[in-house]
Amino acid sequence: MREIKKVAVLGANGAMGSRCGGIFAQAGVRCTFFARTEEKALLGIDNAVQQARSDILREYITPKTYDELEDELPECDWVFEALGEDIGLKRGYLERIDRARNKGTIVSTVSSSLSIEELAEGKSDDFKAHFLGVHFFNPPGKLPANELIFHPDNSDMLKSFVSSFCEDRLYRVNIVTYNRPGFAGNRIGFSFLNEATLYAEKHGVDTIDYLLGPHTGRAMPPLATIDLVGLDVYRAIVDYIYNKTDDERHETFSLPLYAEKMIRKGLLGRKGQTKSGFYSKGKEDEILGISPNSLEYSPLKSMKIEFVEDMKNYIHDGEYTKAVDIIKKERSPEADIVRHFILGYISYSYSRIGEVTPKEHGISGIDKVMAYGFSWLPPSGWVDLLGGPSPTISLIEKAGLPVSEQLSVQSADSHCLVSDVQKYLIAR
Amino acid sequence: MQMARKVFILGGHQTDFARNWTKEGKGIAAMIREVLDGGFSETAIEPGDLDAAHVGNFAGELYAMQAHLGAFICNYHPVLRGLPTSRHEAACASSSIAALMARAEIEAGIYDLVMVMGVELMKSIDSKTGGDYLGTAAWYEKECAGVDFPFPKLFDRLYDLYDEKYGVNYNHLAHISTINYENAKRNPKAQTRSWYMNLQHACSTGNYNRVIGKRLRATDCSQVTDGAAVIFLASEDYASLYAMRTGNNIDKIPYIQGWGHRTAPILFDDKEAEARVNKYVLPHTRTAITDAYTRAGIKGPSELSCIETHDCFSITEYAAIEHFGLASPGEGYKRIEDGTIEIGGSCPINPSGGLIGCGHPVGATGARQLLDAYLQVSGKAGEYQVDGVKRAATLNIGGSATTNVVHVIGRDA
Repeated sequence: MREIKKVAVLGANGAMGSRCGGIFAQAGVRCTFFARTEEKALLGIDNAVQQARSDILREYITPKTYDELEDELPECDWVFEALGEDIGLKRGYLERIDRARNKGTIVSTVSSSLSIEELAEGKSDDFKAHFLGVHFFNPPGKLPANELIFHPDNSDMLKSFVSSFCEDRLYRVNIVTYNRPGFAGNRIGFSFLNEATLYAEKHGVDTIDYLLGPHTGRAMPPLATIDLVGLDVYRAIVDYIYNKTDDERHETFSLPLYAEKMIRKGLLGRKGQTKSGFYSKGKEDEILGISPNSLEYSPLKSMKIEFVEDMKNYIHDGEYTKAVDIIKKERSPEADIVRHFILGYISYSYSRIGEVTPKEHGISGIDKVMAYGFSWLPPSGWVDLLGGPSPTISLIEKAGLPVSEQLSVQSADSHCLVSDVQKYLIAR
Repeated sequence: MQMARKVFILGGHQTDFARNWTKEGKGIAAMIREVLDGGFSETAIEPGDLDAAHVGNFAGELYAMQAHLGAFICNYHPVLRGLPTSRHEAACASSSIAALMARAEIEAGIYDLVMVMGVELMKSIDSKTGGDYLGTAAWYEKECAGVDFPFPKLFDRLYDLYDEKYGVNYNHLAHISTINYENAKRNPKAQTRSWYMNLQHACSTGNYNRVIGKRLRATDCSQVTDGAAVIFLASEDYASLYAMRTGNNIDKIPYIQGWGHRTAPILFDDKEAEARVNKYVLPHTRTAITDAYTRAGIKGPSELSCIETHDCFSITEYAAIEHFGLASPGEGYKRIEDGTIEIGGSCPINPSGGLIGCGHPVGATGARQLLDAYLQVSGKAGEYQVDGVKRAATLNIGGSATTNVVHVIGRDA
């Protein structure tokens, strides 16, 4: 019977590598954290310890450099690749792994969008049979979603083992996804986020983030989310999806020119050197928003639109039905924007069933990835809140958006399996 | 001492104790609304059937600037306007007191269906202020004023008492915490279900497991939690109709078989003096338990399948093991060593994770314990179900073992 006693983590100094490696160490698995220098590997260990809030984790993790990769790999049962999102870089290391690993060793990539089959191209048959995508979400200590992207050569036994291990030992919520650009979560999530950047060009950064704030089912407004992801990383994902897909929302993945200019100016968001992106901080720490036209920063408008404030008040008091009724009934251009985005999210999610996740899983896979990977109110949770498939379909049609057959055939008795969806309606 | 009438528990609901309602921008009214939504939905009871409601809450005025919480029940649905409601306070035993009142009303034949709700919103303030508020569960001006985080220090004195009387090996306390955290991993509503914890960590000290008082560490402490729980108590008449309506056998519906309620002196100095002349360190806790056994017509823990006990600190559960009679005074550690209190043992303690693992929204804990006892006895505890439970007990303690409330819940078939 297969056992995972030791895992090699590549890219262990990065946020994903260190934290994902930490999840294995928390399960009592010995880990070797690889980085370019031992100092960087040690920083990765510090990250893992901080995530677990326990120094005990240090006993499970050893720091090493890539020079020692070939010596270490034969002792490892699983190689967890968490290098930068660069196909050339990854392929280079995966070749080294293929040569050094024992037959049967699992190799996984935490890539959030690159093709599993492309990464495995040219490798040995045994490598392909044991290579797959295991896409944790950041931070994995708080977000348990795990997209599993199997390679066509993976056996059923391997798939079953990895699924059970991730669920039972690593406490992940597994979502089987197909090898499509952006897999499931990023495909759906980044369509929403990027469309927000397009709308911001016309309506302003602060207006869009105000209208699509946490009261619409996301812990963070969309443009603030992009600042957190980092505009350079964000662009890589959105460009990849734009170049490799062609569906009814293809143009929502087109990065606006002003965002390109921001990136060229080094305005990469929170993690960039300037610590500025869509938002920045002024001399007195006040928050400033960027103008997409001039790329200048100015203080945020103090926004108070009655229907938005009413929604927040209802959510504060737990009157979720009344809050959602506002979305359904409010007549104004601003409410149209809110409806466009929420209904567009529902429409796009249901339309991707069978393309990004198996058809037989219905909406549940997409629900899980959006709830547990993005902390967003899942699409079928919205259908429940809007009164069921029939009222939702009417609203989608009125908004001029496509209605997926999957939504049309959903029974009125079928409900979102993610518990407590109301916790995603936030009164901030 | 036998109960005059049977009082059934028809089920209930609790909120997810991992949620932070302040971060969600929600107030105590939202929490009340959600727990009632869940309670009515899960039991399929109509709000209009209620005859009365009792709310347990410790310090709404402090944490949430909101008192008079009974009135919020009437706020839930127009059909509840006019319902007799009240709020009860006995520190961490608040909702057990609410349950005692509800039970008494049904036992006296006054009402047929009474709801018990416990609610506490605690994450609205910083931890130091929260520690100060918790100090009002002791004699504040004599024991807590000017003391940072007074409660771990009070329970450190319980640790000292045990150590002086019988000796305490810290590893046994670490085992209790570890078991409760492990149990919580199987409870989908437990606050700590995704936290990292094992015996190694519990035995360590350092940045991430600081000594809070004198000897008790962070892993020995229960959590600061936002949460609510609701249960429905019913007369035999109502329960019979409910059983028919829901296709159940009334013999399989859990009921309160016994209860005990005792109050110790509030000052820990006075408790210490009593402990020195008693074989039981907490004599009033022991009496509450034996009262419950007597009312239930049982001899002792050999007739219990599991216990949900008040582990505000690991030392409190350590005390509870012998106070329930699972061991002689001073020998509770034996039940830790022989695995009795673990899942799979002969009397698992805190299969839900307890206050350490599941969480401790102070005023809601009593109702949550009763709900968990109901779930265990009715076989509905899902992944943390103990096999073959026919009878369970709960112990809910307010303050430094000041208010003590015990319930024995069981079914006939």
